[in-house]
Amino acid sequence: MSMVYINIFLAFILSLMGMLVYRSHLMSSLLCLEGMMLSLFVMMSVTILNNHLTLASMMPIVLLVFAACEAALGLSLLVMVSNTYGTDYVQNLNLLQC
Amino acid sequence: MNMFSSCMITALVILTLPIIMSSTKLYKNKLYPYYVKTATSYAFMISMIPTMMFIYSGQETIISNWHWMTIQTMKLSMSFKLDYFSMIFVPVALFVTWSIMEFSMWYMHSDPYINRFFKYLLLFLITMMVLVTANNMFQLFIGWEGVGIMSFLLIGWWYGRTDANTAALQAVLYNRIGDVGFIMTMAWFLLNLNTWDLQQIFITTNDNFNLPLLGLLLAATGKSAQFSLHPWLPSAMEGPTPVSALLHSSTMVVAGVFLLIRFHPLMEHNQTIQTLTLCLGAITTLFTAICALTQNDIKKIVAFSTSSQLGLMMVTIGINQPYLAFLHICTHAFFKAMLFMCSGSIIHSLNDEQDIRKMGGLFKVLPFTTTSLIIGSLALTGMPFLTGFYSKDLIIESANTSNTNAWALLITLVATSLTAAYSTRIMFFALLGQPRFSPMILINENNPLLINSIKRLLIGSVFAGYIISHSITPTTIPQMTMPHYLKMTALAVTILGFILALELNLTTQGLKFNYPSNYFKFSSLLGYYPTIMHRLTPKTSLTISQKSASMLLDSIWLENILPKSISYFQMKSSTLISNQKGLIKLYFLSFMLTMILSLLILNYHE
Repeated sequence: MSMVYINIFLAFILSLMGMLVYRSHLMSSLLCLEGMMLSLFVMMSVTILNNHLTLASMMPIVLLVFAACEAALGLSLLVMVSNTYGTDYVQNLNLLQC
Repeated sequence: MNMFSSCMITALVILTLPIIMSSTKLYKNKLYPYYVKTATSYAFMISMIPTMMFIYSGQETIISNWHWMTIQTMKLSMSFKLDYFSMIFVPVALFVTWSIMEFSMWYMHSDPYINRFFKYLLLFLITMMVLVTANNMFQLFIGWEGVGIMSFLLIGWWYGRTDANTAALQAVLYNRIGDVGFIMTMAWFLLNLNTWDLQQIFITTNDNFNLPLLGLLLAATGKSAQFSLHPWLPSAMEGPTPVSALLHSSTMVVAGVFLLIRFHPLMEHNQTIQTLTLCLGAITTLFTAICALTQNDIKKIVAFSTSSQLGLMMVTIGINQPYLAFLHICTHAFFKAMLFMCSGSIIHSLNDEQDIRKMGGLFKVLPFTTTSLIIGSLALTGMPFLTGFYSKDLIIESANTSNTNAWALLITLVATSLTAAYSTRIMFFALLGQPRFSPMILINENNPLLINSIKRLLIGSVFAGYIISHSITPTTIPQMTMPHYLKMTALAVTILGFILALELNLTTQGLKFNYPSNYFKFSSLLGYYPTIMHRLTPKTSLTISQKSASMLLDSIWLENILPKSISYFQMKSSTLISNQKGLIKLYFLSFMLTMILSLLILNYHE
């Protein structure tokens, strides 16, 4: 892996940090999850295009599909929490009551 | 070139004239019933001309008028078959209808819609004529459906009464079940013989005609109220008495038997269908005769009597004697219509009382009605040399001397004696003894409309059998020799029935009424057949549809299998296995710290 991709890689690391460290809103970690997916998509597309891995060309699209699914799941969880408590503060998730 | 076809067409057209006139001022006139009655009588007299020509010279005609359509290789046209059966039935039907129309001018005198009543009766007559003179099955089906619809309209004449509406609906439903058989037959003939014309059906050979004949048998079961499709006929007594006299005794209910008689060349060689017809007719005649024994409504007793005679006609077809069955149709029309008219006279005179337990002592009060009722009952039971004798006795003789099902024969004989029994019951309760009705009624039967109409049918009941059976050409060889005891069978069982019924009635007259036994309940509840079939079948089909459509498909397959089961399962398992608290931030932070530490440590190795 050459250092050409360091930019994208750095974006990925930053989004990861953002997801793992957050203060009060659950929404911010979801946003950073989206950022991770985006950077992964760009890295994958650039790698495949530069190295002419033609048969793997459909992988970015598959990645997008699954990213959409998980974003929907995450949002639905957020909505459930928000329905119960009115806000999405993480401090509300102290009792795992469904 | 003679006037055969012209006279017949003229007679049929005369019948349709009052219907065409019904859009003019004539229909609002008070004299419209007279007009209809005279139209019917003229049609009768004109139709006697072709009948005389037929009797004299044996000329049969087929009139093929109008080419309607050709469906690929099948040609449909309007054609009339004026042969033995239709030529003799048309004058008989017109004569009986003439008398009934005159009677209903007296009976329905106070009805505000009497013009519409006569229009319906005339429409019924026209469709019946279409049925009997049809040369192809399509025209027959038009007549078939027409009589069914008119029966519905006429049974429900007093539509404010719930029972009348239910009875009309019942008639339509039971007839419909029979129509399925008719349509199956038409479809079979279309597919295999490529035609609906009777001539072509009779000359093409085929291996077996089982399926179309079964369809015809089903159609006859529905229309002629044979055993499993019979309850509509007693319920049809909700209609006015002229309707019962015309439709449900002489004309409409014989349409099923007439259909089987029309197709007798096919049935001659098919033993299976003949046996089925025989057994079905035998069961019908016995069952309905048993049911007639304990009814209390005079019209219902006569209705069951009709049903029993229809069973007898089916028995006759079953022993391969279609011409005898046809003779019985013609003679039966006379005395059965007269019986209904007499009961209508009694009912009207007693101020709409139909229960025979509340009649009595009418012997002196209504002498003419009494006379005709007794003569009609005697003709029905086959008193020698009255009308019924010429057909009924011949039927019993042929059945006795033929190689047939002994069980069917035996129960036909039992039903014959029961015929005498319930006829005695009617006469005993309605006519003899002391009066059991309220004395405040003025009883007067001196209306010329009533007297003339019953008088005509009375003369017919006495002489028509002789006249018809000595005028027609013999078609099958009647059985000439038989032992004494076989010849006397019909007479003996009838006399036995009379004497037994009279003795029982006289003996039990003054006794205390005891609670009904099981046999009584069987008979008076019509064998429990309506009770079971009218409740069980709809309930079963409704339950099945509810369970399968609503509960099985909707609730279980669409709702419960995937969505609800998944959510239920997830909830249960998540509450079961989660022993964590929240603390997401702590988990995320520890994850991040572990990753950084591992990267740092693993990077600085030598």
